[in-house]
Amino acid sequence: MFAYAKTLRDNRRERTGVLFALPVVLFLIAFFIVPTVLLFVFSFWQSRSFVLVPDASLTNYIDALTRPAFRQTILTGLTIGLGTATVATVLSYPVAWFIAYRTRTNLLLYIIMLSWFSSYLVRIFAWRTILGTNGLINSALLSLGVIDAPLEILIFSPLAVTITLVHIFVPFTLLLLLSALRNVTPDFLAAARDLGASRMKVFFRVTLPIAYKGFVGSFMFTFILAAGDFITPQLLGGRTGITTGLLISNQFRQTGNWPSGAAMAFILMAVFLVVYFVLVQVLRWFRLSPGLRFHPPVEELRAEMAQAKEA
Amino acid sequence: MLRAYVWLYLAFLFLPILMITLFAFHATSALSFPFEGFGLRWFREILGNDRFIGALKNSVIVASATSVITCLLGTFAALAFPRLSERPRAALGFLGFAPIVLPGLFLGIALLVLFERLGIFRSLVTVIIGHTLFCLPFFIETVRTRVAYFDAELELAARDLGAGPFTTFRLVTLPILMPTLLAGTILVFALSFDEIVITVFIIGDQSTLPFFILSMMRRTVNPTINAVSVLAMLLTLTMLLVAGGILWMQRRRAIQRRVSDKEIPQ
Repeated sequence: MFAYAKTLRDNRRERTGVLFALPVVLFLIAFFIVPTVLLFVFSFWQSRSFVLVPDASLTNYIDALTRPAFRQTILTGLTIGLGTATVATVLSYPVAWFIAYRTRTNLLLYIIMLSWFSSYLVRIFAWRTILGTNGLINSALLSLGVIDAPLEILIFSPLAVTITLVHIFVPFTLLLLLSALRNVTPDFLAAARDLGASRMKVFFRVTLPIAYKGFVGSFMFTFILAAGDFITPQLLGGRTGITTGLLISNQFRQTGNWPSGAAMAFILMAVFLVVYFVLVQVLRWFRLSPGLRFHPPVEELRAEMAQAKEA
Repeated sequence: MLRAYVWLYLAFLFLPILMITLFAFHATSALSFPFEGFGLRWFREILGNDRFIGALKNSVIVASATSVITCLLGTFAALAFPRLSERPRAALGFLGFAPIVLPGLFLGIALLVLFERLGIFRSLVTVIIGHTLFCLPFFIETVRTRVAYFDAELELAARDLGAGPFTTFRLVTLPILMPTLLAGTILVFALSFDEIVITVFIIGDQSTLPFFILSMMRRTVNPTINAVSVLAMLLTLTMLLVAGGILWMQRRRAIQRRVSDKEIPQ
């Protein structure tokens, strides 16, 4: 009797759930799923003298992939993306660690998040002012007599783009790293230290396996955001900093070739996926991913313990 | 050592922004040191610019509409999670999170293609749709974690005590979720107010504040950009502080109420 009443109530509860989810699902189908499918279909169409012709050919993909200039933009985008993600993660980890284990309030986090809300474009403009030909660094170096002519490499280069993107995305990276570290309670760390593990070992054997998903997520998010960005390369990249994202955006904003741009977008997505799988594989090779099979065999552990005892 | 590093990290984050703020008050148009005195020249110039005022107005309209729509859609979505059985829940979680994983560029061009195919005229409405799509995952994630901690038994208890579903929502669910909803909505407002990556593809003849700044940046290095930036940041900062203040006050009131409840014999 009771069980029956409960299922009835559960059924009704589930029906309300479906009802509640309906608006958002419809919205996402209309403005996320359908456009994505449409874009995919578009990538097989042709553009003949600015008129779109329905087609089902791989011409756009082949054209893009056989153009050396396009492959170069992929490389530039990858360099910028991987550079940004690596630097942002390395810079943020100690701060995330500090917030997680050395502070009691979230004040520091709130302060850092505040910078995230200080406009994306403003920060690009700030770095243009700092790195520009007449910018702060160049004028300072000139007046100190370190250089005779302004350093041109500072601005309008992949380097300028990477520095700016690190500055833009670093709070986001930190937030994700921190939420990953929150899963690693201080007790685990203390226990590992008590059992004689070095700081390095604690990181590789305890912290990383537990926070693995969060670490990979934070790196990948920063990578995708940075590699897919097109406004920073447009404003600071110059001729050597043209990324695939910028190329795609040009196809869609000026009187460009939409189907070709759509194909490039899906190639870029595929590249992102490849980067993800390579990252996971590399971590596995270095035995940094979690999972029982990566634990050292018992004999190895015993030997290590014996060694630790002797020392 | 670590403490010093944290300070350095903060300096890296904030010095460029402080520099922009400083130059916004520069008396001359030079964007380099030595600093030649303070002045409000650039603010006067920008506040007299009709295109700036129009863009600001549009941004406020877009961000407000995006906040309201996202809050409505997202709150129901977040409430749906504990009510659904496992598989639909996972599907909803995936669908609600997916737009975050794609770069804004992708969402922008996909929406552009959709609007073009449907013959929808690009306007502030299309921008609001794009911003809602971009902000929804952030909002849902924020509220969802709160809903997960929220004890569903409370709702059931209210129902058992004879409250209808609507009363339960009004008297139990909503008050508990209110601070989170407010925080999420403010977050959405701030995200929308600053959004440019998707906007450039789906905006019509009108202009939002970031779009206005971008077109300024493309033309020249103009010191008024500093002043515009400072005004934009000030607005966002005020919003965040007001939201923080409201949350803080609510928490204090809740604590007080808990104390006074005990004193009233029932």
